[in-house]
Amino acid sequence: MLTRLKTQVPLFSMNSYTKLREKLKLSGLSLASTHSHVIRLGRHSRHNSKMAVCIAVIAKENYPLFIRSVPVQNELKFHYTVHTSLDVVEEKISAVGKAMADQRELYLGLLYPTEDYKVYGYVTNSKVKFVIVVDSSNTSLRDNEIRSMFRKLHNSFTDVMCNPFYNPGDTIQSKAFDSIVSAMMVQAS
Amino acid sequence: MSIPDYMQCAEDHQTVLVVVQPVGIVPEDEFFRIYKRITSVAQVSIRDSQRNLYIRYRHHYLPENNEWGDFQTHRKVVGLISVTTCGSAKEWPQTSDRFHCQKDVFGATLYDSRLLVFGLQGEIAEQQRTDVAFYPSYDDCPDVEKRVEDFVESIFIVLESKRLDRATDKSGDKIPLLCVPFEKKDFVGLDTDSRHYKKRCQGRMRKHVGDLCLQAGMLQDALVHYHMAVELLRSVNDFLWLGAALEGLCSASVIFHYPGGTAGKASGREPSLAHGQGQAADAGKRHRPGALTANGISADTSSEIGRAKNCLGPEDIIEKYKEAISYYGKYKNAGVIELEACVKAVRVLAIQKRAMEASEFLQNAVYINLGQLSEEEKIQRYSILSELYHLIGFHRKSAFFKRVAAMQCVAPTIPEPGWRACYKLLLETLSGYSLCLDPKDFSKGSHRGWAAVQVRLLHELVYASRRMGNPGLSVRHLSFLLQTMLDLLSDQEKKEVTQSLENYTSKCPGGMEVLTLPDGLKLPPVPLSKLPIVRSVKLLDLPVSLRPHKQKGLLENNMSSKSPFIYSPIIMHTRGEERTKKIEFRWVQGDVCEVQLMVYNPMPFELRVEHMGLLTSGVEFEALPAALSLPAESGLYPVTLVGVPRTAGNINISGYHTSVFGVTSDCLLDGLPSVRTSGCVVEVIPSLPRLQLSTSLPRSAHPLRPSKEELSSSVSVQLFNGETQQLTITLENIGSEDLETLEVTSKTCNTKEKLFGEFLSWDLEEAVSQLPLKPGQSVTLTVNVKVRLDFSGGENLLQDLNDDGISVTGLPISSPLRQVLKPRAETKPLGSESSKTDYNHVKTLEAVMTFKYSGGAGKMEGYYRDLSLGVHVDVEPSVFFTRVSTLPATRTRQCHLLLDVFNSTEHELMVSANNNQDLVLHPSECQRMAIQVAKFDFHTLPQPDQEAVRYTNPKLLEEERLHAQASMISSTLGSLSVSLSLSLSLCSSSLDVVVNGKPCDCDIIADCKVGDAVPLEVKLTNRSKNAVGPFALTVVPFQDYQNGVQNYDLQDAVTFIGSNTFYIDMVKPTENSACMGALLFLYTGDFYLNIKFQDDSAGQGKELPPSWFGLPSVHIKALEAPIEAGA
Repeated sequence: MLTRLKTQVPLFSMNSYTKLREKLKLSGLSLASTHSHVIRLGRHSRHNSKMAVCIAVIAKENYPLFIRSVPVQNELKFHYTVHTSLDVVEEKISAVGKAMADQRELYLGLLYPTEDYKVYGYVTNSKVKFVIVVDSSNTSLRDNEIRSMFRKLHNSFTDVMCNPFYNPGDTIQSKAFDSIVSAMMVQAS
Repeated sequence: MSIPDYMQCAEDHQTVLVVVQPVGIVPEDEFFRIYKRITSVAQVSIRDSQRNLYIRYRHHYLPENNEWGDFQTHRKVVGLISVTTCGSAKEWPQTSDRFHCQKDVFGATLYDSRLLVFGLQGEIAEQQRTDVAFYPSYDDCPDVEKRVEDFVESIFIVLESKRLDRATDKSGDKIPLLCVPFEKKDFVGLDTDSRHYKKRCQGRMRKHVGDLCLQAGMLQDALVHYHMAVELLRSVNDFLWLGAALEGLCSASVIFHYPGGTAGKASGREPSLAHGQGQAADAGKRHRPGALTANGISADTSSEIGRAKNCLGPEDIIEKYKEAISYYGKYKNAGVIELEACVKAVRVLAIQKRAMEASEFLQNAVYINLGQLSEEEKIQRYSILSELYHLIGFHRKSAFFKRVAAMQCVAPTIPEPGWRACYKLLLETLSGYSLCLDPKDFSKGSHRGWAAVQVRLLHELVYASRRMGNPGLSVRHLSFLLQTMLDLLSDQEKKEVTQSLENYTSKCPGGMEVLTLPDGLKLPPVPLSKLPIVRSVKLLDLPVSLRPHKQKGLLENNMSSKSPFIYSPIIMHTRGEERTKKIEFRWVQGDVCEVQLMVYNPMPFELRVEHMGLLTSGVEFEALPAALSLPAESGLYPVTLVGVPRTAGNINISGYHTSVFGVTSDCLLDGLPSVRTSGCVVEVIPSLPRLQLSTSLPRSAHPLRPSKEELSSSVSVQLFNGETQQLTITLENIGSEDLETLEVTSKTCNTKEKLFGEFLSWDLEEAVSQLPLKPGQSVTLTVNVKVRLDFSGGENLLQDLNDDGISVTGLPISSPLRQVLKPRAETKPLGSESSKTDYNHVKTLEAVMTFKYSGGAGKMEGYYRDLSLGVHVDVEPSVFFTRVSTLPATRTRQCHLLLDVFNSTEHELMVSANNNQDLVLHPSECQRMAIQVAKFDFHTLPQPDQEAVRYTNPKLLEEERLHAQASMISSTLGSLSVSLSLSLSLCSSSLDVVVNGKPCDCDIIADCKVGDAVPLEVKLTNRSKNAVGPFALTVVPFQDYQNGVQNYDLQDAVTFIGSNTFYIDMVKPTENSACMGALLFLYTGDFYLNIKFQDDSAGQGKELPPSWFGLPSVHIKALEAPIEAGA
């Protein structure tokens, strides 16, 4: 699985901006693998080649900073899905001891599978949570791809935070961030 | 077996199932009372064996489930207790029959049964029967518990015997195949002699014995049997029973590891019961080793090593549960078993605090398909999932399932939606969505929660409560939604929410009372403090005229009582804080007080706020509510709320009251941190009277120039210089208190102009005599407005009219036209138009009259009120005295005042002096008028104005032989009266000459007779402030021939009797000194007396000018002596 790593650590030019970014991200680029906890997979086999159906960014205080889902008409369903996934996120974070918090991997792996979706989580060191919901029929999507999606998301989020006109805690309205998210939600190659 | 028992937990495996059921007609509450008493016997310690028997009671149990009793013996109904009412002996057989019918339902599995008969007395009841107990009534059954215990013991005996029967390894006997209901047909026609079949039989029996051991309180035996069963069953791939054996193993291990039980309180068991269980479990654990030694059936179970080995560790328990569940999963018909196993495993994991794994089990449980579930079952299932998620700390997930359960209650497929249940369940989800229905918590915390789902939940609560038929709740929830989620709602949503809120409030207006739900949950009131949003609260002072002032003396008293120190930094510190809260000014009881709020409307439509009033504490306060309408998304908008304090004391403005969309709310400022306020506590002083002032003059349009102090009202009037106008001021007491004191003062504000005389004068006596003034009464005060201004433009010198060298100093009544008039063309009509404008400027005079009044309770406290009236007078020039001089009159005591009077007005006017004819002056005409005025003693004048000061200079006194002092000349111009003051005074010392007893003056001729001695008295009166003298006074007679010749050589004609020279000693001020002498005229004729003074003080005789003394010339006419006298 590790051999299928596609995304490389991006090369940063040594200007101050990227240094700041790096500082914020800290160990965000560690690539240790985790095993996902899948109890039951693929009870229904629907074919859907979308990468992600819902992407959410959740503040430290557990309210959404950003949420976007592909079937727009049923957004509330994803609200519930993401909201309930926070239970697992919290459990996973608290499971890692305080002392280990520094070495904690940001990627949390599969949070829980529902009948139709799989929910993946990622928590930054500042306790901002990223949640990606993918269609559970999309078996082609590997753990590493999910990871790289989170990494991209984190990079883009860091950019948003670096924007001096952004108030931390406000909902994200950045176009750049939006386009990154949109890219993750379109057809996979 | 279709209905799972979600309440099951691992330790239920060691219980025996007893069904308690009513037979015939038993009142429900009575039944449950008895049921409760029965269930209190949950654990029975068996006397001889030191073992415990645990009993699980059910009042409802499906016979269908009973059929699984061989699979897991705790599912088997082994005991039946029937409760029945039997009124008479006649009914007894029937009742007995029914009991037997009921027994038959569970007949196959029952070990024993009991019937509790209530109400039957008499013969039948006397019988001693083991299976029937008779009680006279439901209230009179003291030994129910004892009976139940006996019953349980009898069950134990059967159980123990069965266990022993099965446990003994009778290898020779054929072991029957135990099977679950759905398996039965599978085994038809199978070769019963095969090894495989035998092993299966053995394995299943082992498992069964394990169950029995566990129930009988022999944990270690049970573990051993389970282990053996697992091995046997694994070898024959009997997965269902393998699963059951594994689960049994897990249960036994759980019971060993967690004697406190895994059900916890969340399972809904009564706390007292759980407590009892806990104790019992402890006791059980203590006794367990004993239990091992007490039985010697299986030798290999008695060793300690074996026990440790057989019992699963906490990790293993979960692994085995997983395995068991996966085996169960292979059978569609064992769904309930699988589900229950999941639930049990979750409870164990919850105890182990392994939430993640527990959630996996739960996730699995969600997927277990139990076929067609009824709606009720679905609700139950979702609720239990929610409870279990709650148990493992997944509050959001728990809330999610609870919400799903709530929605299931009102699913469209249900003919009678349970809105009440739905609402109740929705309320329970609140905590999971970090929502608290107390708006205070919301405004406080930083926790904002997941708005989208919170809004959704609130909407659902609103809808459910409405369908429940409780619009009050809907209103409360909608208010909460509006209050807390306002920023998150879109404009469209805001509109919808408010519309529905208005709809609901039309049925049930929202208020501030706490709503209590039947289950005890309290819904705190939701004040809509964001509709409108209040930004600042400012208490306003009373209008100037109504502001109370404290009398100074009393104020100091007050201050000193607070602290003995003039300055203390510590006290200052605390007081400083106090001051930030307390406001400087005061309010008055009974007067309308105002508070200004800055509000804005955050809604995208017009907001109508009704009954907006103040909330206060500390003082009885009558708030006068206001209604306002704020435009959509208005900016800050000032709103003034008014009210009347009804008592005195410190009033605290604690908040405000509004009524928006039919929801009345009391918004307390304490709960609104965003509101800026400069303090909310203000002192209310006792009531004071209130005066309204009205004047006879029109109100002034323009305010007074030095508007440092605000005036309650002002009047303006236009006057000619010197004119007097009466201003009638009416003061009406419009308050409710008697007016007791009234003081009037005035202050002239315009100090630039030189003002003569009193500008404003009044007589307060009359007004004061009418006090106290009752409410509604009025008092009038007449004020004379008199203007006397100097229009000379600062130049003080008057054109001297006289050529005779008498220096005249007049009042500054000189005219700016003096230059023009210089050529002394008195009759020349003056004034080109241009020159007229030069002097025709208007001067203004301003003064403030202050009415200080008090009365009522406020006066006791030392407060008073000020009412100020500004008086604005435009003064126009009227008449100028362009030149002034005096001419001596014929009498020494009088003189003529010559005045050139110039009319600067545009009107014809008439000037009249005291005794003169009227002088008519045309506009811009100048004429001279002469007025005879008496000289007077200026020292005796009571210092009329400041002009006199100038002449009190003694040096000037000496140099000016005659000078003017104030005297009134009044002239009239229609109704206009002009006054001018001029002063003419007597000389400093006056000399009175009395001839023949008659005082002499210029015009008086004293008559005397020739040959008679004429007594002459010369009296010197000192009117100056200094002593004068001594003087030598010489009287010289002379004759004036009226042709310029004066004959002093009169020794022949006049003879002095005595000396003609008198010596007058020092005369002190205001005293007089008289010299007496006599004259004898020898011839007839007109004689004059010349009186000369010589200063005798220096020794040398220096003659003093006669004008110093205003010496009268004494004219004496000597007449022929009458003939008859001579005859």
